[in-house]
Parts: sequence; structure tokens; C-alpha cells
Amino acid sequence: MNHEAVILLVEDNPQDEELTLRAFRKSKILNPVVVARDGAEALDWLFAKGAHADRDASVMPHLILLDLKLPKLDGLEVLQRIRADDRTRLLPVVILTSSVEEEDRIAGYGLGANSYVRKPVDFTQFMEAVRQLGLYWLVLNEGAPVPAGGFR
Amino acid sequence: MRDVGPEQEVSRIERLEEENRSLREILENLPVMVFVKDANDRRFLGLNVAGEALLGVSRDQFVGKLAEELFPADQAATIHASDDEAVQSGRAVEVPEEPIETSRGTRWITTRKVPVLGADGLPKWLVGIVEDITERREAEEARARALQEADEATRELESFSYSVAHDLRAPLRSLDGFSQALVEDYHDLLDDEGRRYLGFIRGSAQRMAQLIDDLLSLSRVTRAELAREPVDLTALVRSAAARVEASDSGRRVEIVVEDGLACVGDPRLLAVVFDNLLNNAWKFTGKRADARIEVGAAATEEGPAFYVRDNGAGFDMAYADKLFGVFQRLHAASDFDGTGVGLATVQRIVRRHGGRAWAQGEIDRGSTFFFTLGSQEPDA
Repeated sequence: MNHEAVILLVEDNPQDEELTLRAFRKSKILNPVVVARDGAEALDWLFAKGAHADRDASVMPHLILLDLKLPKLDGLEVLQRIRADDRTRLLPVVILTSSVEEEDRIAGYGLGANSYVRKPVDFTQFMEAVRQLGLYWLVLNEGAPVPAGGFR
Repeated sequence: MRDVGPEQEVSRIERLEEENRSLREILENLPVMVFVKDANDRRFLGLNVAGEALLGVSRDQFVGKLAEELFPADQAATIHASDDEAVQSGRAVEVPEEPIETSRGTRWITTRKVPVLGADGLPKWLVGIVEDITERREAEEARARALQEADEATRELESFSYSVAHDLRAPLRSLDGFSQALVEDYHDLLDDEGRRYLGFIRGSAQRMAQLIDDLLSLSRVTRAELAREPVDLTALVRSAAARVEASDSGRRVEIVVEDGLACVGDPRLLAVVFDNLLNNAWKFTGKRADARIEVGAAATEEGPAFYVRDNGAGFDMAYADKLFGVFQRLHAASDFDGTGVGLATVQRIVRRHGGRAWAQGEIDRGSTFFFTLGSQEPDA
């Protein structure tokens, strides 16, 4: 596993955040996790703007875990912005959310999500889901290389 | 020109009077309001019985009056405008929906104004034929209002479901997750009783999550658009059977599906019906070693029906009407788990198809669930 690979977790519920981080830890996924607590913060971090203006913009996450229901900008709008920008359009985005409503899945895939995973209520299942996500996206999956200046 | 004798003159007058009388009778008895006014000075000359009833006036109060003496100024002005149009064009004029003040309140009318030409070829009279559309208009408005309200209710239900789907599960995840965290991180501080209590919390959280999912699927069934297409039910039931078998591979249950089952309906919703009925049968045969589930078609008093029969725990027919209610359960959760939403979902889908679902059973002798589907005409 590439331990430098950054995971961007976009999650507004602090307890869900803690549970997700706990699940990573328990699954021995030790990668740095950046947490954005709403859609606007996620975009600020990705594009090194606003409160994140001074971060190293060349570091892009290997995996974005995106909740759908978020304050300010919701997950689908965030996904749309990610897919619309050359710097981020090829990043793997996994929607990780409570709902399996059909409309959400159709909209999510329609906007270019790479995967859609429901957060199980049962923590044992939740941990297993997070473990498999980490294994697949950080170990098995080969992402698109990020050239300087973004994807063309 | 030949002379007309006095006798012929008398008979001609009689004939004209007779014609006149019969025309009056026709006018009087027409179910729509008819009035006549002078095309030049615009005073009303006559009004039939239907007109008296519509306006709530007697013809004595009406005849000889101008529009402005009978109606408010703005209504009189529009009456004059369409009078002018009919008189000047010499052609009939249609006046669509307009309000008119009467002694019975505001009525909505449509009017056809027909100019009648005199011997000089100029309009001499205006004949008006007036239809009272107040009731029709009110019915249309009520219908539009009801449609709009139904639309709003649907939208509200959708946003409610959306919020339920997204927001109600998060607290449960927290209950379950942190209970598990307590067990893992504070194991030494907890005795068996403490761990058992945490187990209850996790169990309850998971059960509530299941309830939410079941209720959402029930509400989806209500919201979903209904397709009517030919369905190979045998194939559909076999896939549903494979799903229930896969969910509990530890058990062996003989599932027999009749060949050639077919119907017209919504295949996705029918799959939900059989998922629920088979899950039910699977669950309630749980205590039998020789469990058997049978799916087929039968002629019933309600017409051709499909059925799912099992040889499981059965139920007391005294409670048969409670089976299909939401959250109604006939068995203790310790015997057979479940949320009590499955059969309500079945009933709702079947009703949406125009059919009916019912059950027969006997304690310890198994149950049979029947359902019919309404029209078997596919959509064009």
C-alpha cells in the first residue's frame, strides 16, 4: 500500500467521521486522511483556495469518499465541480452515504462517481466496507497519473 | 299583386299567431337563458323562464331596462362592448366566461349574441343565448385545486422520504458503532451484563435501521409509476427464490414453482411482492425440517389468483384481517423476527394493480397467501 496516498473524506457528521476514521485504523489503513466538513470546504481543499490557499496544490487525493447530504454544497454539486475541473476530473470518487434511494444512485453515477457504497448501520459491516474500499482503491486500483497542471 | 280577401287575411293572421305562440313556447321552455334586446337603444325586450331563474329577477323587472340599470358598471360596459361588436359586424359574437351579478350572487356565463336583421337589412334585435357555467367552472377549479394539492402532497412525501433515507440512519450508526467501540476499547471495565446491554443497544439500532428501510420501500411502492406489461411470472418467482435461498444458505427448503405462470403487471413491483411472500414463507417454515414452499395459480371466488403456500407455523384465521396492516405482527419477535411491513407492501402493490391479497392458514399447518391482479390489458 502507498502510505503517502491521501484520502479525502467529505463528511459533515462528526460521529460518522470518527467511526470512519476508527474503521480505517482498525483495518490497518494508515494513510493520511483529510476531512472536509462540508461541500465548500472539500472544494477549497482540492483547489487550494480559501482557508486552504497555502496548501501544496500538487498533492491530490488518491481517493475521495463523498457523503451526499452536506451543508452548503451537497455531495452531487461537489462531484459535478470535481468532474468539471481538469485538475480533479479523473480522481476516484466513491459516494459513501446513508441512502440507497434510486434517484441518488442514478444522479451519482450520472455525474461520474466511480462507485456508490452505502454506510451500513451495523459497525461490523461498516468496518468491512471501509476495509474493502481501502484495499481496492488504495492497493488494487491504479489511478490516472496526475500531471503538473492537471489532467488534460 | 293579387288582392287578398278578408277570409284569407284572417286565416293568415291565425297561422302567424299560432307560429308565434309555438316559438314562444319553445323559447320559454329552453333550458338555457334567452333574451332579446333592441339593437338600437339596447333596452331589453324579453327574457325566458331560464333567464329569470339564472338572474333571479322577474321579466317585469328586466324588460325595458338597460344593462347599466341591471348590472354593475364594469359588467354593463363589457355587455355593451360585445353588443356593439355584434351590431356592427352583423354577425354572431361569442362571449367566453364572464362573471355576472345576480340576486343569487356572482354567476359565470358564456353568451352567444346573434343580431337579427330588420326589413331594412340592418340589425333590429339582438338575441342572446346564455349558458350558466358556474357549477362546471367550480368543479373544474375544485379538480385543479385537488390535483395541485395531490402534487404538493407527493412532493412533500418525496422530500420526507429523502430526509428519512439520509438523516434517520446516522444516529443509529452512532449508537451501533460506539456501543461496539465500548465493547472493544473498554472490555475490561464491562462485565457480562454490561456487554449484554450494549448488545441490546446494537440490536435495537440495527432493527430500527431495518424498519426504516422497510418503510421506505413501502413508500417507494406507493410513489413508483405502475407499468403494465406481460410478465413471465415463473421466471420472476424463480429469481426471487434464488435470492431468498442465497440470503440463508444454511437451510434447505424445497421451493416448487408452477411452470407457465404469466400475467400483465409491473415486473419490478411484482418482484417485490414475491420477495416478501417468499421471505415470509421462508421465515415461518424455519422450525420445520421438511420445509416446503409452493407457488402456483388457482381459480378462486375472486377470479384467477396466484398463491404462495408453505407448511410452516401458520396463523389463527381469527386474525387474518390483521395480517396486511403496517406493523401488524401475529408472532412474537422471539419466535420469528420481522418488522411487519412486508405484507403491507404486498397489499399495496396488489391494490395498485387493481387486485386484492388475502390469506388462509391454520396454526402449525401452514399458510397460503393469495392475490389477484386487476386488469390484464397491457399498456398500449
